[in-house]
Amino acid sequence: MRLPVRKLRPMAFLFLLSIGLGITAGRAAAQKRVSIGVTETIETLNPYGDSVSLLYGIWSEITGPFCTYNYDKGDFEGRLAERWKVENPTTWVFYLNKNYKFNDGTPVTADDVVHSMMNRVIKDPQSKQKASVAGPIVKAEAIDKHTVKFTTDKPTAPLLGFVCDRFIVTSKAMFDKYGRDVADKEHMMGAGPYRLKELIPGQRLVIAKRPDHPEAKRNPRAPDEIVYRVMRETEQRVAALLNNEIQIAQFIPPHLRQRVEQSPNLKITATDSVEIMFLAMQPKPPFDKKEVRQAVCHAINRDQIISTLLEGFASRLDGPIGPGQYGYDPNLKPKLSYDPERSKKLLAQAGFSKGVDAALQTPVGRYTLDKQLTEAMIPMLNAAGFRAKLLTPEWPTLWAGVQKGTVPFYYMGRGSVQDPSAALHQYFHSGETPRIGYSNPKLDELLDKEQAEFDPKKRRQYLSQAMSILTEDAPACFMWRHKLLWGLNRGIDYKPLPDARIFGMDIKVVKK
Amino acid sequence: MASYLVHRLIGTIPVLLLISLLVFLLIHAAPGDPTLLLLGEETNAAEVAQAKARWGLDQPLYIQYFKFLKSAAVGDFGKSFKYSEPVTRVIQSRLPATIELAIFSIIIATVLAIPLGVWAGSRPNSWLDNLGTTFGLFGISMPSFWLAIMLILLMAGVLNILPSSGRSTYGIAGLEQSGFYILDSIIQQNWKGVWDALTHIFMPALALGVNMLGILMRVTRSAVLEVMNEEYVTTARAKGLREKNVIWRHVTSNALIPVITVVGLELGTLLSGSIIVETVFAWPGSGSLLITALNARDYPLVTGLVMTYTAAFVVINLVIDGLYAVIDPRIRY
Repeated sequence: MRLPVRKLRPMAFLFLLSIGLGITAGRAAAQKRVSIGVTETIETLNPYGDSVSLLYGIWSEITGPFCTYNYDKGDFEGRLAERWKVENPTTWVFYLNKNYKFNDGTPVTADDVVHSMMNRVIKDPQSKQKASVAGPIVKAEAIDKHTVKFTTDKPTAPLLGFVCDRFIVTSKAMFDKYGRDVADKEHMMGAGPYRLKELIPGQRLVIAKRPDHPEAKRNPRAPDEIVYRVMRETEQRVAALLNNEIQIAQFIPPHLRQRVEQSPNLKITATDSVEIMFLAMQPKPPFDKKEVRQAVCHAINRDQIISTLLEGFASRLDGPIGPGQYGYDPNLKPKLSYDPERSKKLLAQAGFSKGVDAALQTPVGRYTLDKQLTEAMIPMLNAAGFRAKLLTPEWPTLWAGVQKGTVPFYYMGRGSVQDPSAALHQYFHSGETPRIGYSNPKLDELLDKEQAEFDPKKRRQYLSQAMSILTEDAPACFMWRHKLLWGLNRGIDYKPLPDARIFGMDIKVVKK
Repeated sequence: MASYLVHRLIGTIPVLLLISLLVFLLIHAAPGDPTLLLLGEETNAAEVAQAKARWGLDQPLYIQYFKFLKSAAVGDFGKSFKYSEPVTRVIQSRLPATIELAIFSIIIATVLAIPLGVWAGSRPNSWLDNLGTTFGLFGISMPSFWLAIMLILLMAGVLNILPSSGRSTYGIAGLEQSGFYILDSIIQQNWKGVWDALTHIFMPALALGVNMLGILMRVTRSAVLEVMNEEYVTTARAKGLREKNVIWRHVTSNALIPVITVVGLELGTLLSGSIIVETVFAWPGSGSLLITALNARDYPLVTGLVMTYTAAFVVINLVIDGLYAVIDPRIRY
């Protein structure tokens, strides 16, 4: 029997039309839904089960940020903890905002904060945030229903850098009633402006706005729903942005910027990252000699790399940190600027007038154009008298080597440097980590002093002196901070944050 | 047949043991430390030591291996370092996505490759044969990750007719029951969901299946060419059968044995290929899970996944052996 093709055609047309209308209807229903293409994978419903910048931001939206760093003001400001005071150098008291309520309407109390810090962050074996969030905190106790005391094991002036935008507060009652796993999976009770709606590990996470939340009133045009979609490939994020699958795309590499800008519906916005990029040198031969380390710093033409490969989307660093970061000193000296002739002289002074081997290791695909940028450094190093070569181990291998102190020369980034204290201690203070293995008693003394100094003016002075020593002694050459490019739909008004956290309350839907 | 299968199953035990030993040794020998990768940038020595003790990494390797074997014997691969959940549960949650993708890849590959191969083989050196052979060569030589990116650029970026990644659109997919989105949507009569799932699966399935398509097409062509010279084909023609019947009933059915063998072998390639394709398309299956596990040096999860893949290979080969008897009645075990 032959099929009546002619008769079927109108039916097929109607069928396709109905599907098309259905899809269009689906899109119209989600007018204030914003999808964001993100690069980190989202894998677990345990808010304490990962230690990744993006996830700290997302969970803070769901459970309510404890406190946050305001980049415009250059200071920390209260959220769930509306204010705080330093009772003595090892005791901090935080006063909770009484208007913060969990999804079920119960208020957030000091017991929830203590439970979250002690049971979830510090003591839970599943927690991966103990060092990052609790840091020096050894005890949390409730003073009254809305006041909490944190005790640290040593005076820690930059404590807010550990807890703000990171410390996640979840419901003690739910934990007690259902146990950790069921509470996280089925009764995620947060006090943030959004609530968790769906998580498909490795694919997407969806949060929905709580219109009655105090934060939600601050920005009525914030999206009703936010879909974080895992998109690791840059081409994929650009394609999804072009066809309006997503309205915000994280981290567009400079060479794809034009494709986004050519679309009338899209725009690119750039923001200075707080991630500092540097070349680290273990003080072992040949880098045990200061002259060799300084020669590396003088050999790299950072301005040329920024203007060509990075198309201007980076800011040169003349010290460990740049403008907008706590303790930045525009008059910091010395400046190890591009001077290959000086490099040659320094190498000769160090006894390497005939050149010296240097194997630079870099991750591939972890940082913006990391391989291409380090490839460009090799001829520059060679022109200055090194016999340089580039090695590109896979990230887990390189990272394990760096953390064990077995990589002599590497290109690396350190993120979340609003306040440089933790990063400087981690990489340059004697005995803290073997990542560089550098030791300088004078620097140690200054770093210890700044950490224990609660007077901001004096602390800045100590930091500035420490950073001056670092730049001069050059255990690392500080390269640049990338300007992170975000692709945005023109219907969205959003100013990305330098630490790449994404807060739904910062997004405005301006066009339906 | 039953005794043959039992013998084959017993024979797989040493294979599984050897694979488990190899995977265990290789993943532990690989540079990188799960504690350093999973505990965040600010972790310290004390926290690392605690994690090592908790995960049993402070014990000698042979003790770790025997503990693993003991629990694996009862289907327990331990707890994932990254997910803090039993490995079997994590794999179970991701496997349906990979199976669904593999099924679609096979469908795309076989539906296109067998007719193309038969047409090409039955008309050697014709324009159809040349076209088919070129197409087959294209499929074999095309790296799946490159094709995947090109498909995204073309179908999602330029033509805007397919979604760039993921498995479903939020708000359209219904409740997850079996883990197979298309099946779930059909059961729930969510036709919009079916269409959505099909649009999402098409590009990754094509990227994954093109290589298999090329190989299958060439194998089918060779098999058909060989069978075309058999005497029973000449006899069929001499009986006055129409050429279409000769080719599809007598030639194709006899040429299918090597094709099925290749399908079986290629299923393994499909599983390994899915690791790349799933990552590119953010497909939440076991392939992308393996990449995540490897990057985190999540030893139990990596071992569990590789053992699952190995078991799948064994089962597939058994099924293929069984299929021989179904297709060719002369084969008996």
